[in-house]
Order: sequence, then structure tokens, then C-alpha cells
Amino acid sequence: MNKDKIFKLAKGFRGRAKNCIRIARERVEKALQYSYRDRRNKKRDMRSLWIQRINAGTRLHGVNYGNFMHGLMKENIQLNRKVLSEISMHEPHSFKALVDISRTAFPGNKSSVVPPRKEGLSIVL
Amino acid sequence: MALLCGSTSVRSQDLSVVPLDERWMFEESEVNGPDIWNKTWYPKAADHVNTDKPWYIVDATDKILGRLASTIAIHIRGKNLATYTPSVDMGAFVIVVNADKVAVSGKKRTQKLYRRHSGRPGGMKVETFAQLQQRIPERIIEHAVRGMLPKGRLGRKLFNHLKVYKGSDHPHEAQKPTELPIRDKRIQMTR
Repeated sequence: MNKDKIFKLAKGFRGRAKNCIRIARERVEKALQYSYRDRRNKKRDMRSLWIQRINAGTRLHGVNYGNFMHGLMKENIQLNRKVLSEISMHEPHSFKALVDISRTAFPGNKSSVVPPRKEGLSIVL
Repeated sequence: MALLCGSTSVRSQDLSVVPLDERWMFEESEVNGPDIWNKTWYPKAADHVNTDKPWYIVDATDKILGRLASTIAIHIRGKNLATYTPSVDMGAFVIVVNADKVAVSGKKRTQKLYRRHSGRPGGMKVETFAQLQQRIPERIIEHAVRGMLPKGRLGRKLFNHLKVYKGSDHPHEAQKPTELPIRDKRIQMTR
């Protein structure tokens, strides 16, 4: 009975790990450990991906991620990073408005990158 | 990079024409469209077709090697796009011309060593930057950019999107490459 459960979980494994119970049992135990660990890691990885996307989106407008978030915190805009990354991809004009709000709230370091020319927005569209 | 939100492919089902006892057959996504705000976007195959990717061209004359390679790698990987995804090739193609005129600061021209090993004992071959530039100038930029791209299957595929040429002409006029936007102020070697 237990063997059938193990083989059911071992579908798609490489080589003998899907056919032979001794090897499959080890691999399935490891797979379950990995899935336990990765349910927690997935939350971290997703947040990291949102931050990378927001960073790329704000740099198109001449502001980096750190200064952008600082400006949003100052204005008490509580949009989370998931939503901000989706806005940066699907609603570029709204995102530019957010970047402008953040820039007025926190102009950032003067020695940072010069904001790109107005042609930058036509690249976004 | 703004997305074309696939509005042509989403066919929303109007539930008012469906009889009551059949309404259970329709999923949420078919009725109101896919949920873009609660699920993190992942690119579909149509979002990264190679034929639609932009092509950039950059002249390497008197540009600092590492800074140039860094900018190129960022564009090839797609990290400058808001639609960046680490597991998918969303980046652009980059053409480098005049690769033999790339510059390095300090004494690197005679002191920077390029090593390779044939796999056999005693098979290490060492060359200086100047010697390699004499022999195969494209390899210098390729080596630099390859070190900055991810190592793995996807990284090897990304490397093929870099095209380096010795002189100033290239066979990619049909792709209509545009100038690579460079934000680094210290990339140009000033004498």
C-alpha cells in the first residue's frame, strides 16, 4: 500500500528512482523535504522577482528602486511590491505617475543617474 | 516595455445567455478574463519570440571593456525591462562593432592575462590582452560578456544573442539595429 503511494509520488523521476522501491523511497522523501522547504522559499523568490521588476521599471524613468520605495513610504502609499510590479508591466502611465509622486516626495541623491530624455516614454509604449 | 495585454485572445463568456443549470461549467477566468492582479505575470511563448526582439548596435572604439560588457550583458539578459523573468529569455540582441579597438585602463593591455587549459597535464596556455587582441580580437569582448551572463542552459543560449565583429561592418542591416542606450558616464576612455 505504501509502495503504491510512493510510486505515485515518484512519477517523472529519472532512471530507477521511478521504478525501484528502494531508490524511489529515498528520492520521494527528498522530494517531499524539498517541497516543504520550497513552499517557504517561493514566497522569498517571488518578492525578489517583484523587486527586480520594479527596479527595472523605475530605472526606465531615471529613479532606482531604493529611492522609489523611500518616496512611496514617505507619501504613505501602501501598495505592495506584487501590485507595483504588475502596474509597472500592465499600466505604464499609472506607474509613471507613481514614480513622479515618489520623486517629488524624495528627490534622491543628486549624483545619481540623469533621468532619460522624453523619448524614454515612447520606448515604454 | 508595455505589454499588449492579450486582449485579442481573451474571450469573456457572457453568463447571461447561459442557462442557469449550466453556469457551473464556466471558470472564473473565462468569465472575467485572467486575473492579472493577484497572479504574478509569467511570459507566454508569444511574449518572447526571437523575431520581435529589438536589436542594438554599439561601437566598441575606446570604450572601457568591463563597463561595456556590463551594459551589454544587462540588455541581453533583459534586466532593463519591467517584464524581466529569470527563467525566460526576454532580452535583446546586441551587435558589437570595432571590437579590436576596445580599451582598458592602466597597464592591463600588457599585464591582463587570458588563460585556457586544454585538459591535458601541463596544457595551460596563457596570453596577454595585447596578444589576444592581435590574434582574435572578438574573443576579448565575448570572454568579458560571457563571464557576466548566467552560467547554465539559458546563459549559453543568451550568449548566442551577442554578435561581435572586428571591423565596422556587420551583416545584420536587415534587423535595423538601434543605438544601445548607455547610462554609464565613465565608459568612454578619455586620453
